Amino acid sequence: MKFTLSWLNQFIPTEGLSPAQLADKLTMLGLEVDAVTELHVDLEEIITARVTTVTKHPDADKLTVCMVDTGSEEIQVVCGAPNVSPGMLSALARPGIRLPDGTRIKKSKVRGVASAGMLCSAKELGISEDHGGILDLNPDLSTGQSLAKALSLRDTVIEVDLTPNRPDCASVRGIAREVGGFTGGVLRPLVESTTPLTGTDVGFEVHIQAPDLCPRYAARRLTNVTIGPSPQWMQRQLIAVGMRPINNIVDITNFVMLESGQPLHAFDFETLQDAQIVVRRPHPHETSLTTLDGQERTLDPEMLLICDGRRPVALAGVMGGLETEITSSTTTILLESACFNPVSIRRTARNLGIPSEASYRFERGVDPELAASALERAVNLMVQYAGAQADLDGIDAFPGKKPLVQLHLRLERVRTLLGISLAIEEVARYLRGIEFIVTALDGQTLEVTVPSFRVDIEREIDLIEEIARLYGYNEIPATQPVIRMDYPRRDDLRSIRQETARILTSQGFYEAINYSFVPESHLDHCRLAETDPRRRVTRLINPLSEEQAIMRSMLLPGMLENIRRNISFQRSDIRLFETGKIFLQHEANVLPEERLYLCAVISGCRHPEAEPLYYSSLHSDFLDIKGTAVNLLRVLRISGHDTSRIFQTGVAQPYCDPDCAAVIKNGEQIIGSLGAVHRDTLKEFDIKQPVYFFEIDLHQLLTMSKEAKKFSPLPRYPSIRRDMSLVVPDSVAAGDLLEAIHAQQQKYVESADIFDVYRGNPIEPGYKSVSLSITYRSAATTLDDQTVDKIHDKIVNSLMASFSARYREGSEE
Amino acid sequence: MESELLKLQAEAEESLQQITDVTQLEAFRVKYLGRKGGLLTGIMRQLKTVPAEDRPRLGQLANEVKQAVENAFEKQKEQLASQFSATAASKVDLSLPGRFLPFGKLHPVTQVMEEICSIFEGLGFAVAEGPDVETDYYNFEALNIPQHHPARDMHDTFYVTDSILLRTHTSPMQARIMEQQEPPLRYIAPGKVYRCDSDITHTPMFHQVEGFLVDRDVSFADLKGVLTSFTRTMFERELALRFRPSFFPFTEPSAEVDIACVICEGSGCRVCKRSGWLEILGAGLIDPEVLKMVGYDPDRFSGFAFGLGVERIAMLKYGIDDIRLYYENDLRFLSQF
Repeated sequence: MKFTLSWLNQFIPTEGLSPAQLADKLTMLGLEVDAVTELHVDLEEIITARVTTVTKHPDADKLTVCMVDTGSEEIQVVCGAPNVSPGMLSALARPGIRLPDGTRIKKSKVRGVASAGMLCSAKELGISEDHGGILDLNPDLSTGQSLAKALSLRDTVIEVDLTPNRPDCASVRGIAREVGGFTGGVLRPLVESTTPLTGTDVGFEVHIQAPDLCPRYAARRLTNVTIGPSPQWMQRQLIAVGMRPINNIVDITNFVMLESGQPLHAFDFETLQDAQIVVRRPHPHETSLTTLDGQERTLDPEMLLICDGRRPVALAGVMGGLETEITSSTTTILLESACFNPVSIRRTARNLGIPSEASYRFERGVDPELAASALERAVNLMVQYAGAQADLDGIDAFPGKKPLVQLHLRLERVRTLLGISLAIEEVARYLRGIEFIVTALDGQTLEVTVPSFRVDIEREIDLIEEIARLYGYNEIPATQPVIRMDYPRRDDLRSIRQETARILTSQGFYEAINYSFVPESHLDHCRLAETDPRRRVTRLINPLSEEQAIMRSMLLPGMLENIRRNISFQRSDIRLFETGKIFLQHEANVLPEERLYLCAVISGCRHPEAEPLYYSSLHSDFLDIKGTAVNLLRVLRISGHDTSRIFQTGVAQPYCDPDCAAVIKNGEQIIGSLGAVHRDTLKEFDIKQPVYFFEIDLHQLLTMSKEAKKFSPLPRYPSIRRDMSLVVPDSVAAGDLLEAIHAQQQKYVESADIFDVYRGNPIEPGYKSVSLSITYRSAATTLDDQTVDKIHDKIVNSLMASFSARYREGSEE
Repeated sequence: MESELLKLQAEAEESLQQITDVTQLEAFRVKYLGRKGGLLTGIMRQLKTVPAEDRPRLGQLANEVKQAVENAFEKQKEQLASQFSATAASKVDLSLPGRFLPFGKLHPVTQVMEEICSIFEGLGFAVAEGPDVETDYYNFEALNIPQHHPARDMHDTFYVTDSILLRTHTSPMQARIMEQQEPPLRYIAPGKVYRCDSDITHTPMFHQVEGFLVDRDVSFADLKGVLTSFTRTMFERELALRFRPSFFPFTEPSAEVDIACVICEGSGCRVCKRSGWLEILGAGLIDPEVLKMVGYDPDRFSGFAFGLGVERIAMLKYGIDDIRLYYENDLRFLSQF
């Protein structure tokens, strides 16, 4: 809602308040001021100047050379306007000045003749659309004064961001009422008095056939109307608040709507058939209406229409029809001032996608008592500025007249809910200041009658909010609530998310957050089968674009997008993770299942950001992501050693390289997977370097048993370590050797590790050397070499037998 | 045997004197003391072959010689080490960069969200998270925003079906929790929310933290107190707070809360649009209709609720000027916080 200060002052004085102070006051009353704009600041330096002589330009037919009196000196200006004449008072822009359209005036020569400024048209000054010639001012004005001052153009536009509950402030007068509430100023009425409309001998009829949607319909017929431009002052106000002047009748309806809050509509009376207005829903055969913007609108049976005796002529409260619109030849009009059901108007405006100034007000609630005075105001203006005759009476059908709302306000509730103690007189004074009628029922309760324009006040709590607003939110003290002490229960999912994030960041991973909505093509990029449950997605009806059309059913694609982006910005060494929800739509029309997943990706160098001096540019591989997963499980104390949880498997995810894929299992259930991203998938994401990923369902992780933290005594006796290097066929998985060692369950074996895997000379092709170390320890004694050697030999022999292994030659030292 | 031992000892001790670096020392160890083929080890093995009556005497001598050589070896080793360490420090170029393993970071939104949550947890609020895909009922109806209410204009909603949508705020958790429990209640609900709006100041997904407290006699003054504690902790200083009347269908009275601009301290700058104030949250007393809908008697219980925009606060705390950066996951961005 925009208004000018000068317009506001038509209803309430604001002397002593600067625009900034006024804006601050309004903001603190809940009418948030978005912008305060000074109008025509740029006209401050344009001055009034009198043309003394006009001579033809020696070298150009259409130009003249003028001598211009600026009040302090006489200067020469070349002018191209046809209307320039000696003695004329016009507007002069001198060199150095910038016009509203951005043109900078310079001293120049026009076809060889010096020109020290420019005489301007109204359009060039941004005052109106008139570009017929230079501004022809009232010659009685004095020379050399600022144009803004001479024409009283200076004004301030204030824009208020209205909340939906305050339709009463969608008008200059409504704002003025709020201003009166804090200045104590007296609000001027819209019209001095309103003559009641009797409805007899009016020359037309009004029938409200849908009283549920139209509580009031008032109208008058005006004859002898002359269509023309509206007065300058009115055009200036309309332009200032962002409305385009059209003609006197339309401008007056808009002007009165803006100042009163009552939308009005003018029909060309001659086009209304049977001289009837019928307010009703459409008949079955009435399926469309062409509105005055030339668009054909499809009607639905629930839309409220204004019809004449035969057909729809307007969408009630939203937009008029084309056929009954005011044209330059209109002479008789029917002026409508009505009140419509907010929900109905909102539905119509929404369904047809035509929000209008009128529908904005109706859907929030227009004061039903306003129709008569706004109609009177508009009629007065039309009589004055459009030559209208208003001898005939009008019709005011008001089937929905309701008594004013009466509420009880308990002082105790004010105290409890606001935390302030107010005397009953004080509460009454606040409410009376904004036109509420207040009587005390007893020392503790007020009876409050709500004025009709406050459609938002229906309950005691609404009154309490008014008290808070007028008392000042900032005057209310800050206290601490008193509440029973209790430590809240922890959310396990939140805890595990925090914990996993901590573990991953400590391993060099950065956290990513991606949009929950993704393009459906991601699923194809990931090569998901048609039957894959992740294809059953939650789809948006109104996505911003196809790129954000479905809710993600997996996290990996988003992270691949992140990798691509980072590579394109020359960051190709990447460790990222995301913890986020995936959405699985198992069946239609219910809420999807939401599961919290963790996904981590590694690509490029193993030690991004670390000093290349110490960490050579080793490239990450599968074992990096496996290590990440293993370490995560280990730190989370998910019981079992590495290999009992992570399985290599033939069943890979479709977006996984089949030769480099593993799954994480909880018992028989697969709860996550890891591996190298499939080449085809990488290609779709335009990534040319290998990417390793790991994903796991955090809900499942929560269900896995955790090793309790339990003390075991520190070993008192030394351990003995024995190393061996075995040459085995390439096909033997090194991990299986470790498994086999553990499987033998030999005494004293504390741990077994792989410390080297070697291929190449002198080992023959098809074989590799795996170096293992086994640590032996007894809890009861210091082991001697013989005991250890005996066990160790057994283990080695068993390994050699089961893996076709042999000892690798080499010195022991 | 005996002379051999003594000769070996003399020889060893002499060659030890000649040793000037660690490589020579290691060569010495292998030559004399190596487990396989060391000269002294070799002689010890020969003890098996001497006559039994000489064995104790020679054995003792051999041990003494071995001990002596070992002692001399250790002595020389220590001497070398001390000489070395005296010069070693000057050999390390201390100006070279230190060695470390990289450490990742949480996303700035998560950092701020966790900080917000931990402040309220400290005040005894429990944390609960609800679904991102929500019903129209919880997102709107239960919050006193019926169908065709103009307040729906404040929420540009993504729909899945007519009655299922992406939550436009975290406020549905008020209704979900109150339905299940009786006061006193103190909850915060962090999470993602969605609005179909995208430009330099809006992303279609962002994060909110909803908070609410319901008990007997909870007042607007209490709301002010709790939010004052919060902002003081969050921004690590006493900041002026400004409560402005506003409108939300699910609170009454409703307020927008501004803090004194953290950039210019209230004197007016570009970030606060010269107002000196920054809007950081919306709040109010829970509307009696909302309480009634979950079966609470509004004359018995009252409560307050507030909603914070996480990105907004992160922007203020870290000076981020483009909201879209949050979801590009550019490492150059993520590594800054």
